[in-house]
Amino acid sequence: MRPPHALTLSRRTVQVLVLLLTVLTPVLARHANYLSAQHLDKAIEQLGSSPQGLSLRATDALLRAVTGVERPAAELRTADRDALLAAARGARGSVWSFELFGITITDPLAALESAAASRTGRWVLLSGVLLPLLLTAMLGRVFCAWICPAGFLLDLTGRLRGLLRFLELKPGRVRLWSGDKFLLLALGVAASLVAGLPLLGYVYPPALVGREVHNGLTAMFDRAEDGMLGFSAAGLTIASWFLLAVALAEIAFGRRLWCRALCPGGALYSLLGRYRLLRIRRTPARCDDCGDCVAACEMGLSPMTDRFGMECDGCGACITSCPTDALAYRLGAREARRTGEVGS
Amino acid sequence: MTGERSDRRRLLLRGGRGALRLALAGAIVGAARGRWGGPPAPRPREAAATGILRPPGALAEPEFLAACLRCTSCADACETDCIRFFAPHEGRVAGTPYILAAERACNLCLRCTQVCPSGALAPLEDIAAVRMGTAVVDERLCVSHDGTGACGACHTICPLKNRALTQGLRNKPTVHAEECVGCGMCEEACIVDDRRAIRVVTGRVWT
Repeated sequence: MRPPHALTLSRRTVQVLVLLLTVLTPVLARHANYLSAQHLDKAIEQLGSSPQGLSLRATDALLRAVTGVERPAAELRTADRDALLAAARGARGSVWSFELFGITITDPLAALESAAASRTGRWVLLSGVLLPLLLTAMLGRVFCAWICPAGFLLDLTGRLRGLLRFLELKPGRVRLWSGDKFLLLALGVAASLVAGLPLLGYVYPPALVGREVHNGLTAMFDRAEDGMLGFSAAGLTIASWFLLAVALAEIAFGRRLWCRALCPGGALYSLLGRYRLLRIRRTPARCDDCGDCVAACEMGLSPMTDRFGMECDGCGACITSCPTDALAYRLGAREARRTGEVGS
Repeated sequence: MTGERSDRRRLLLRGGRGALRLALAGAIVGAARGRWGGPPAPRPREAAATGILRPPGALAEPEFLAACLRCTSCADACETDCIRFFAPHEGRVAGTPYILAAERACNLCLRCTQVCPSGALAPLEDIAAVRMGTAVVDERLCVSHDGTGACGACHTICPLKNRALTQGLRNKPTVHAEECVGCGMCEEACIVDDRRAIRVVTGRVWT
């Protein structure tokens, strides 16, 4: 087995960090509340080695590492507590709309929907979407491959296709028209405008992951306060079943089926990244036409014949899979002409 | 010899695959039964009777429903963990924040209003400017009003005491609607169980 490519490693690291932050945020919120009520040490003691207690211990260690406070909980000075509290309150929300140390980042789809449903500009949202808009315009759909927590989870559950093959149940290959997602986006925004409700957030996996994680963890802590320790699915809603259905469909019918053909957020990012500056390009002279990149592409594209299109999320799977290093990130606002030319 | 071994191997693999397939089917059926065969989740009765209690600074209901991103930032900022969210099957209010004051009330820290990215909760600094609803005393249930005793729990906890809530003889509470912000601290503190003797009424229709 080859060691993982640096590109794969850095992508997985970013994805793990985003998922970790998503899970940590509700715990940090609860931690801040116990801390401000001067109840943290007692809560940690009472919750013991239950998942709730262990997660509070983890956030305590993390916050102490960040702030450099070393005094034990019982002897905290006011200044120490303020520093710990400021750090604990540094993160809020999920990738749908996130705040990290005063910087708000909002998903452009969230802002678009909110503005459409309100039938006004909602200019407050503008400061939050500037950074994602700029990044997507320059780098393309990189959110999908590098940040989206749902995409990461789907990558992990997608590994079960191997199990399917072991069971001699042949994984299916459903091909949906990749324009479906634009249709869903347009219909969703139009419906939001008419109904006066943001509707696409209910079927947008990263938003659902954020909400389910928040609801699940807060319900677990609420139950712990009533003496019911341990894991619980009490806070999870029907959205979890939707996510599970998407995951099962991707296992059975094709990798990244949702992202490729149906995701409304992916559609928006595809549109925004249409004239991106950074793209993956093939050097025909080095390409030996082996087709490894086509097999590796999660979005079902064909790098070997220069067919990247709007779906390319810059994950770099084709680059790492290429035995002759014919593929690389290049600057250029336009796609290479589809020569399909094969190197000698 | 080798033929026999490969036969046994094939048989084992086939058995293993069969068992795994059965387990997979069983897990799916079991999960479905657990989800849709169980008792329905209880709906909060109090809130249905008095209207939805939104966090402070919430816009009027239709504008709020349109603007709110359903991002959970307000709950992460909340100091008392009082902000809950409607489940996705609750219709048009799905995913939006609400408070069950009888369970856990808002302490008017106003952090949620300052972090809301969409302006669905308008930023506020002064607790007297909040208008979440109005507390209403149910004189039939209140122990100070019906003569059972002298309580005063609502007055003790009220963040705007002597302005929004005053006490009369035997600690009888009186709410002054023009000053009351509707935080619900009185509802949480009320000693009358099950159905509180003081409840926040919001007029936000529960659908």
